[in-house]
Parts: sequence; C-alpha cells; structure tokens
Amino acid sequence: MLLLRTWKLGIRSLLLHPMRSSLTVLGILIGVTSVIWLLAISEGISKEFQRQIEDLGAENIIVRSIKPPDEGGGNFRRVNAFGVSRAEYRMINDTISTVDRVLPIRELTQKFANMGNSKVKPINGRLVGCTSEYAEVTRLVVNRGHFLTTQEVETGATVCVIAATLAQKLFPGEDPIEKEIYLPENQDYYEIVGVLEPRNSTAAIGGSLASQDFSLDVYIPVTTMRIRLSDEVTKRSGGTFSRQRFELSQITVQVKNVDDVPQTAKLVEATLRVRDPDRQDFAVVVPYELLEQAKTTRMMFMMFMCLIAAISLVVGGIGIMNIMLATVTERTREIGVRRALGAKRSDITQQFLVETITLSVVGGLTGILLGLLGPWTFVLARDGVERFAPNLYSVIPEVGRVMSPEIVPASIPVSFFISVVVGVTFGLYPAMRAAQMDPIEALRHE
Amino acid sequence: MAAVIRDLQKHYVLKSETVRALRGVSFAVPQGDYVAIMGPSGSGKSTLLNLLGCLDRPTEGSFMLGDDDVAAMSDDELSAIRASRIGFVFQSYNLIPQLSVVENIEVPLYYMGNLNSKSKQRSIALAAMVGLGDRLGHRPTQLSGGQQQRVAIARSLVNDPYFILADEATGNLDSVTTEEILALFQRLNDEGRTIIMVTHEDEVAEHAKRVIRLRDGEIQVDEPIKGRKVFTAEQIEEISQNANSSSD
Repeated sequence: MLLLRTWKLGIRSLLLHPMRSSLTVLGILIGVTSVIWLLAISEGISKEFQRQIEDLGAENIIVRSIKPPDEGGGNFRRVNAFGVSRAEYRMINDTISTVDRVLPIRELTQKFANMGNSKVKPINGRLVGCTSEYAEVTRLVVNRGHFLTTQEVETGATVCVIAATLAQKLFPGEDPIEKEIYLPENQDYYEIVGVLEPRNSTAAIGGSLASQDFSLDVYIPVTTMRIRLSDEVTKRSGGTFSRQRFELSQITVQVKNVDDVPQTAKLVEATLRVRDPDRQDFAVVVPYELLEQAKTTRMMFMMFMCLIAAISLVVGGIGIMNIMLATVTERTREIGVRRALGAKRSDITQQFLVETITLSVVGGLTGILLGLLGPWTFVLARDGVERFAPNLYSVIPEVGRVMSPEIVPASIPVSFFISVVVGVTFGLYPAMRAAQMDPIEALRHE
Repeated sequence: MAAVIRDLQKHYVLKSETVRALRGVSFAVPQGDYVAIMGPSGSGKSTLLNLLGCLDRPTEGSFMLGDDDVAAMSDDELSAIRASRIGFVFQSYNLIPQLSVVENIEVPLYYMGNLNSKSKQRSIALAAMVGLGDRLGHRPTQLSGGQQQRVAIARSLVNDPYFILADEATGNLDSVTTEEILALFQRLNDEGRTIIMVTHEDEVAEHAKRVIRLRDGEIQVDEPIKGRKVFTAEQIEEISQNANSSSD
C-alpha cells in the first residue's frame, strides 16, 4: 500500500513536467533500442557470413589453381601448363583414406546463345566441367530435369545443366529442357537436360577464393569438356591474344569426417608439393577453418556492438542524472516540507529513486518495443534505398544487401535489466543529494 | 505539559567565531496554551522555532516533548517525532503541488506509517472542518492563499500533535484572511489544542494568551497578554461563513 502510493506519487511528479520527462525517457529509449538493433544486425551479418561459408561445405577442402603472373615476352610456340592436374586429382582420390569423394572441376568463361532463337542476345557466363557428384557437394538443387548422370560423364555426352538465371535470360518464355545451347566461340552445341534452382553466391575468402556467383553457370561433364575444348585456351582481345593451359580449375575434396578436415588438408597440400615444394600455382582453402575463424570474428563483432550500445545507454543514464539533479534543486522546497512533516532521509531517497526507475523502465519498455520493430525497419529502409537511391544501394556491401537482421532473444531481458540498472545507478546520486539536504535550509529555499 | 524546554542553548560555528543564537532559554507550554513568540530579527526567534519544530538539535539543554527528551535524538528519530507529535503551519503554506487537498492532509500520516482506510475519512473530516469539504480533489494551485493555509492547518491537525507550530502563518495574507485564520486558531485553541506561533506583528500576537519576547538569545518577557483580543462565538461563525462563501 505504502509502496504503491510512492509509485503513484512518483509518476504524478513526472507528469508535472511531461516534456522534460519524455526527453529523459528518450535517452534511455534510444540506448535500449540501439542495443537490440545493433545486436540484431550483427547477428544477421554473422549468420549470413556463416551461411556463405557453410555453402562451401564445412567437410570440404577446396584446391584452386592459380594462374602465375605472366613471364615477360610470351612464348607463342609452347605454353606451360599451370594449376592442378588430372593426375594429381587421381592421386588424391587413390591415396588419401580419409577422403570420401574427390571432384575434378574445370571452369571457363564463355558466351552462350539460344540455338533455336537467334533473336536472344548471347550472354557471358561460366562453363563448368564437372562430375555427377558436383551438384550434391556444392549444394545445387535441380528444379526441373536432372543433373549430369554418371553415365553421361563416363561417355562424354554433349549434355548440360543450366542455372536458373541463365535459363530465364536465354530462354524467355520457353521451356529450356531438351533445347540446345550454343557456344559461338567454339561452335559447339549442348542439349539441356536440367535446370537448377536459384542459389545465393558463396563467400569470397581472402585472395585465393573469389565469391562464386552460380547464377550464369552451364554445367557439362568434365570428360566432354576435355574432348571438345582442349586444355589450351586462346583469348583474343583487341589486337593481342593470350593463351593459357591448365587441366583443372579446382579439386574439391570431401572428407568423410569433419574432424579429419584440418589433417586431410595438410595431407592434400603435401601430396601436391611432392615434386616441387615451392610451387605457387595452387591454393588450399579450408572452409572449416574459416568457419571457426568466423565464430571468433562474430564474437568480437558482437562485443564491439555491445560496447557501442553500452555507451549510448551510459549517455542516456547521464541524461537521467542531469535531469534529476535539476529536479532535486527545483524541488528543494518540497523536500524541506516533506522532511518537516516527518519524512526520513531514506523516504526522500526512495521518492527520487522511484522517479528515476520509472523513467528508465518506461524508456526500457518502449525501447524494447521499438527494438522489436528493428528488423522490419531495416528491411524497409533498405528497400527504400534500393528504390530511391540505386547508386547508394550499389555501394552497400553484398552482405548488407542479402542479410536480414535477427533479434537476439537474450538482448531483450539484458537491455531491460541494463536500463533499470542505469536508472538506479544514475538516480542514486541525485536522490542521496536530496536526502542529505538540511531541512531548515531546504524550507528557506525559494 | 505539551512541551518543556530547559536552559536551551544553540551555538553556530561560523569560520573562527562562535555565534550564540540562544543563550539559555527555559519555559514550559502547558496543554491548551496559546503562545506567541516575538522578537526582532537576530533575537534567536528562528533558532528557537527550528528547535521547537525538532528540525535542529540544541547545543545544550533539554527539550521534553511528552516524556521524551528530543535534544539527543538521531535524525531518523526526530523525523518520526515530527511526523507524530508536531503540526507545522508555514508562512507560505508549503503544500505539495502534485497532491490534492485530501492527499496533502494525509502526508504526515504517510510518513508515520499510519495510512489506512480510516485516515482518508479523517482527512476528509478535517478538510470539512476548515471549510474545504467541497474542494477535496483540488490541487493547491487551484486554491486561494487563505484556502491553502486552511488546508495546511488541517494537515497540521491530522496526526493529533502535541502542539501546532505556526511560523508567521498570516504573513502572506491580507487582513480579512488573516482574521479568518486567527479565528480558526482560536476555535482550535478553544477546543483544547495547544498553539505556539511565531510572529512579529503585535495585532496577530494579541490573539494569543501569552507572549514570549526574545532579545539577543534570551527571554526578555514571558507574560500573559493583557487585553487579549477574542472573537466571540458569533464572530467566528460569521467569519467562517464569509470565508466559505467568498471562496466559492
């Protein structure tokens, strides 16, 4: 009963200055909202990073061929091959016991055209030579038709599977299945046997693995690729032309047990360096290690965000203290009267603490409500930027465009608790100051 | 006896010199007395008021309030004494702006820890007694000076104090309202309430039964008032009637 009255009185005193009270509440509100928003955004970003890395496959080891820098004065008669070879692929497959599957992959940039409809403009895409297991290991999902079969790979069939975006662009309003795709640079045809589901790109990792965009891919059997397009690639641009020779662009090694990944990665690297320990034409990328690394990065990121949020809460708290000190001075007379009428020091402390706690709790609760709207607001703002400021939108990093903020459930009770603690901490000093006043002086105060 | 003070001294230390505001003051206030304390500024009047109001502790001497010597009490004990045994009436009314009339009257009970279902009825009855029965929910800012002072008097009575301590209670009021408040004091005194009032106006002091004049921290005069001004029962009736009708 007594307590209830204290609270009612506190609220009433605050309502005496609605503007002042709401501005004070605003300080805490912004603090709490920013805690929830920042955590939600950092959670969204790190989830997105994690997803991209997981798409590479935690159980995979990726060996990429790297084109060495041009040795000056090119030799036109003979071009040295670089990168990992088919022999090395077989060696890894046959000798390492922890390995489940090994995939040889060769990638080339190509121009693709619709064989049956010459009105459709040819588009640049990626021709990928692979095996039937590629879809599963790279997490590609077939929408219609089927992915390359083992038989098609063994026989070197001239068939292909195409990505969703490419299918849409090259065969507008058509069913691409059983149609043919034309490669004008090589005067070659492939029959389409399958169309894939759309797929997000994977993370770019350091300098050794660029972000992979799967939207304009055409997959053919790696065997067919070897037969119909040689290991040597000649590119013409302007007046000059360059030649490259490489057998495989990538070997993806899938390990049986995730725990064996780091060890197997070392083994793979050692195998590839048997003949030349100093070769620079390949790189081993281990998504598993990156995943571990990403977890620590995520922790640091979260801590950083928490720090920023904590600062804004402290600023809010200082706002409370400032206002309460002003209020205490302004209400000196009232304090004196209450003391004369029998209020103990503790009664006065209590009265002012109740007011600051009310302010911070109201700020905390409204902050949480606004915080819960955070993800929605973020997406809305992003869509707004996309529509009205496309230039600005294109500058936003990819992760920012793809990710969706995710409220961290713990951030709600934590931020509420912190706001109350801030209210008590910063309210305590003004309240004590009020209680320490000499009642005679306070009564005389004008 | 409502209050007995004996050889009360109060010294203030200001920088290096000691100011002896009260140099040994003794008097007793029997129950039902009506005392006016007077004196020029610097006479120790305010110091004595603070000590009588238990807002301060004396340097020397004793102050018996009932059976307790409040001179040696702690701050919290003094707060409890103020809440339960003293009824304050101030010059500038000192009502709490965010509270209604009834709630203002209840404040001392709240700090006594005596707030219960009966206290509200008691507060309402006191408000009615001072002629504000129809303004229970008003805020102080909605009342005139005289009305505010009547609320303050009702507040001073709510804890059934040993005495009412009025500090220049009419100092902010015009002559008509002053009369109204003095009539109320007389009525309370006739009912048996003890009143100690501090004033510097002779016309106000003339309504008391006894006057104590202070000079330089000592009692100069302590005597019954000759030719005390008394309101007759009809006058009191008339004044309170006027007060109530004028406040409408």
